[in-house]
Amino acid sequence: MTRVLVWIGGGALVFATVINTLGVIGRHVGVPIHGVIELVQVGVLVAGSIALVLATAAGSHAKVNLVLDRLSDTGRRWFQCGALLASAAFFAALLAGSGWIAADLWHAQEVSEVLNIPWQLLRLLAIAALAGALGIVVHHALRRRN
Amino acid sequence: MITATPETGLIGLVVLFALLLAGAPIGVSLGLVGIVGLAVVLGPGAALTKSGVIAFDTLTRYELGTLPLFMLMAQLFFAANASRDLFDAAAKFVGHRRGGLAYASILGCAGFGAVNGSSLATAATIGLVALPEMRQRGYSDALATGTVAAGGTLGQMLPPSGALIVFGIIAEQSIGKLFTATLVPGISQMLFYCLVVWLLTRWRPDLAPAMARASWGERWRALGKIGDMLGLIALVLGGIAMGWFSPSEASSVGTAGALAITAWRRRLSLSVLFRAFEEALRTSGLIFLVIIGALIFSVFISVTGLTEAVGHLVAAMGLGKHGTLFVMTVFLLLLGSVLDGLALMLLTTPILLPIVVGLGLSPIWFGIFIVRAMEIGFVHPPLGMNLYVIQGVAKDVSITRIFKGVMPFLASDLVHLTLIILFPAIALWLPALLGQ
Repeated sequence: MTRVLVWIGGGALVFATVINTLGVIGRHVGVPIHGVIELVQVGVLVAGSIALVLATAAGSHAKVNLVLDRLSDTGRRWFQCGALLASAAFFAALLAGSGWIAADLWHAQEVSEVLNIPWQLLRLLAIAALAGALGIVVHHALRRRN
Repeated sequence: MITATPETGLIGLVVLFALLLAGAPIGVSLGLVGIVGLAVVLGPGAALTKSGVIAFDTLTRYELGTLPLFMLMAQLFFAANASRDLFDAAAKFVGHRRGGLAYASILGCAGFGAVNGSSLATAATIGLVALPEMRQRGYSDALATGTVAAGGTLGQMLPPSGALIVFGIIAEQSIGKLFTATLVPGISQMLFYCLVVWLLTRWRPDLAPAMARASWGERWRALGKIGDMLGLIALVLGGIAMGWFSPSEASSVGTAGALAITAWRRRLSLSVLFRAFEEALRTSGLIFLVIIGALIFSVFISVTGLTEAVGHLVAAMGLGKHGTLFVMTVFLLLLGSVLDGLALMLLTTPILLPIVVGLGLSPIWFGIFIVRAMEIGFVHPPLGMNLYVIQGVAKDVSITRIFKGVMPFLASDLVHLTLIILFPAIALWLPALLGQ
């Protein structure tokens, strides 16, 4: 699963690279490409959503270890458990907030200005990423408890 | 619901500090305090929808693409052996001088920092190449490790600095202008480090023996090996400074160029590409979460009016511009002793930026100032992340010895930071000259 996500996320980065570079070349040779920014936004959203999930799965979110490093093993386990609960609460709140907005705007036919890209789909992707990150954190917490 | 007051903001700040020290992820701590704080003062519905809006807006921000793309560019250059080639070229040109490999390490750090944007990665990669070389040639352990630990901080002070991209997004400032503004401070920091090496080797010549001089043929060959990379770096940075393209476009041009160079050097394979994607995505993921958290937190802080209250307090103290900045610097350096650089920047920017603007200083200058102050935290104990990174590379050198080695560079850092405070033109002159 991780491999697939990395290839999709990497593909989105290459897509953004190619579109943006063509946009620059086009502008400088007098053949501007319309909607470059919107296409890059799509690439950034896909890559960013996958990046959130991958960083959470790898447990690589930045933290301050100054106190943790000085605790006993038991103390450290308690604090790590607390950190996982805090992460779960944060992702759950983001998920609830994003879901709320998406539900409110579902019938508003939200599309981008130039290329008419449906934002509904992009919102669903972001929601799926947040749900994925929440699932991973909960899974880590349960594994730690067992 | 509780009325939003500066006291509410202050309580939020204390809780945030406690969460950070308890080891909760930085982005989670910032975001959670922000959401709970907003729920307390505005109601749960408003807090949830605001955080949902911020999360989606952040993930679809065009400028945010700059971060993963520059990271991908750095990963590709890493695969193309850039760190080794940059250090080798610098060593061929200055290695014969006393302390020459230390100069080469600093130049290598600056070169790799200009494609990388991360202090830790710069210290680790140049350390892997330069430390064995310096120690084999009889350089003092303290000088060798101190040079690379300090040199690593150039990664964040030279564009494309990851810290400046994050600052630009949370403070809503032009990333291109920040990149241009950091050029003079970054280069002068590099020259300060070279001056430290020069002074140390004049005082104690035994610290760094001279090597044999490389022939001009060897020098040109070494330079030829990095010509493609230097050309691309010049195009990316020059393009931003000259206004040919935005930082976001520059990151794409840089990545496209790095892909071409890696392929041209026959180092591009599916496994290399996979590793580069994986590293770039994972690092971006952790920074995206921090940005989302920081934006939610800064909304909470601004709603409570804490920033205005601190601003009034500072004004009432009547310290004047330089006095205020001095107090701010001491506060940042002390806080930098217990907080990681990114947390320090994100925690303090919403509060300090309005005060600085109130003093009549530019937000762009503040971006350079805070990143410079944050960088000092990378080399001073007890956190000093770069020191531990270097110890990971040179496992037999004690952390105390590495700290002893970095001390002279730390002193030069403080002088350099003071100059940036006294002469804001160090940062603001170039963007003004280029009409940005």
